Amino acid sequence: MILETTDLTKHFGGLKAVNGVNLRIAPAAIHSIIGPNGAGKTTLFNLITGAIKPAAGRVMFDGVDVTGWPAERLAKIRLARTFQRTSVFHDLSVLENIALAIRSREGISRSIWLTAGTERAIEAEACDILGRVRLRGREKDKAGALAHGNQRALDIAIGLALKPKLILMDEPLAGMSRGDRETIATLITALRDSLGVTIVVVEHDVAMVMRLSDRITVMQHGYVIADAPPAEIRDNEAVRKAYLHGSFAI
Amino acid sequence: MSDEIATMPMPGTDRRFTGLALLAAAALGASVPLWTENMPFVLILASQAVVAAIVALSLDLLMGSTGLLSFGHAAWYGFGAYLTGIAAKMLTADVVVLLPLTVVLTIVLSAIVGFVLVRQIGKTFAILTLAFGQILFALVFVLSSITGGEDGLQGIPIPTAFGFQIVKPAVWYWLLYGVLLVALAGAFHIRRSPLGKAWLAIRENTERARFIGLNVSLLKLLSYIVSASLAALAGGLFALFNGAASPDLLNWFESGKVLMYVVLGGVGTIIGPVIGAAVFTVTEHYVSSITDSWLIYFGGFFVLIVIVAPGGLFGAVSNLWQRIAAARRGMSA
Repeated sequence: MILETTDLTKHFGGLKAVNGVNLRIAPAAIHSIIGPNGAGKTTLFNLITGAIKPAAGRVMFDGVDVTGWPAERLAKIRLARTFQRTSVFHDLSVLENIALAIRSREGISRSIWLTAGTERAIEAEACDILGRVRLRGREKDKAGALAHGNQRALDIAIGLALKPKLILMDEPLAGMSRGDRETIATLITALRDSLGVTIVVVEHDVAMVMRLSDRITVMQHGYVIADAPPAEIRDNEAVRKAYLHGSFAI
Repeated sequence: MSDEIATMPMPGTDRRFTGLALLAAAALGASVPLWTENMPFVLILASQAVVAAIVALSLDLLMGSTGLLSFGHAAWYGFGAYLTGIAAKMLTADVVVLLPLTVVLTIVLSAIVGFVLVRQIGKTFAILTLAFGQILFALVFVLSSITGGEDGLQGIPIPTAFGFQIVKPAVWYWLLYGVLLVALAGAFHIRRSPLGKAWLAIRENTERARFIGLNVSLLKLLSYIVSASLAALAGGLFALFNGAASPDLLNWFESGKVLMYVVLGGVGTIIGPVIGAAVFTVTEHYVSSITDSWLIYFGGFFVLIVIVAPGGLFGAVSNLWQRIAAARRGMSA
C-alpha cells in the first residue's frame, strides 16, 4: 500500500467529522472517495495533508509515518495535492508556475544563480509537463488569463512537476463544464497510465467516479461505509441508502 | 504580409527603447553634481532623495516580493543610522569597516526579530512591525547616554575610505548614487532568480507555495533580512553623510512616509518606489517651503492614487504606455 491510514479520527466539538477511518490505497490506482455532503471527505484530505492534526490515528505514506507533517515536507517526499478551488499562481506565467515546482523539487528554490544549462533544462521539463496537460503554446501567458478548465489542468500540472508518487485531488471536476470534465477525466486516466502515479480523488460526480476509479471508498457521517471496486459499490445496499435523498445517479 | 508585420508587437524594439530610457535616466541621475556646482543645497537635497530611494527599494523587497506589509520599516533605517554613528564615534571612521559591520549586525538582529515576525500573518505582522519600530524608538531615549536621546546623536566623525576623508558633497552624492544603482541591479537580479520567483509565489498564493514544497517561513525570513539590511545600510550612509542621527529617523511617521513612497511608486515594481521616493522627497522640500499644508496635499494625492491607480504611478504610466503602443499598432494595421 502506498497510502494507509489507521483509525484516523477528528472531532469538531461534538461532531465526529472523521471517525476511525482505515484507508488503504494501492500503488498506481485511481482511488476515489465519495459520500454525501458532510461525510468527512475534505476533512480526511486535510488530515492526510497535515492541514489539520488528527485527534487519533496515523497516516503512513510510502512506508513513512507522516502523521501531522506540514505540506512542504509532504511535497518533498513526493505527495502532492490539488485544490477544490483551482489554486495556481495567477500573476506568474504558465511556464513559471511549473518551473517553481520543479525548482522546489530539485531543492534550488532559494538559489540566486542558475547556470544557463540548468535554466534550459528546467524550461524543457516544464514544457514537457505542459504538453502532457495540453497547455503547450500557452507558456508565456499569465496563469490568471487561462480559461477555467485550463487553470485546473495547470493546477494538476504543478502537482505533476513534483514528480509525485501520489496526488490527492480535491473535487477536480467541480464547477466545470461537461466538456472540461471529460478533458480532466481523460487527463487523470492518462497520467496514471503513462506515469504510474497513484491518484486519490474526492469527487461529487458519481457517474464519472464510477467510470474512472479502480476502487471507491464511500463515507457517511465520518465513517467508511463501503470500500470496493465500482461494480460492487453500485450494488451495495448501504451505499444506496446513504444516497437515498442525495443525487446518486448510478 | 506587411500588415502582419505591422500588427505584430515588437518586443525587441520596445525592450531596446526601455533600456535606452533607463540608461538615460541613470546618466541624468549621475550628472546631478555636474550642474549643481553653484547650488550646494540642491546637491544635498538630491543626496537625501537618493537615500530615500534606497530605503523605499528596501521596503519594496519585502512588500513587493513576499507581500508582507511593514508599518515599521524606518526602525531598520534608524537602527543602521545609530549603529553606524555610534560605531564611528567609538571604533573607527573607516566606511570599509563601518558599513559591513552595520550590515552584519543588522542581519543578525533582523534574523532574530524576523524569526518571530514572519510566523504571523497579515494584520498581526503589520502591527508587530509597528510595535518593534516603537520599541527601538523608545530605546533611543532609554539609552540616551550613548544615543544622545532627544538631542540626537551628534558629532559623528567625518568618515574615511582607504585613508581619504569623504567630505566633498559631489563625492558623497556619487557614493550614495552608486549604492543605489548596485542595490537596484541586485534587486532586479534577485527578481529574476529562483529566490525572487519563490518570493513572488508566496505573495501570489501562500497555500499553494507550501504544497509545492516551498519553506514559506524561511523564504519570508530571507526577504525580511535582505530588506532590513538594505534599509540599515541606507541609514548608516545617511548618518555618516549627515554627521548626526535623530530619533525621528526611526519613528512611525518616517515608516509611514516610506510606505507611502512605495505605494505611490508602485508596489513590487522595484523601479517605481525608487523614483517615487526621489520625486516626493524633492517635491516635499519645495512645496513645504511654499505652504505649511504640504501633508494635506500629499495625503490627498495619496488617497487619489490608491483609488485611481492601485498599481501606483509606475503601474499607471506603464499601463498608459501599453495603451499608446497598442493604439499605434492598431492605427498602422
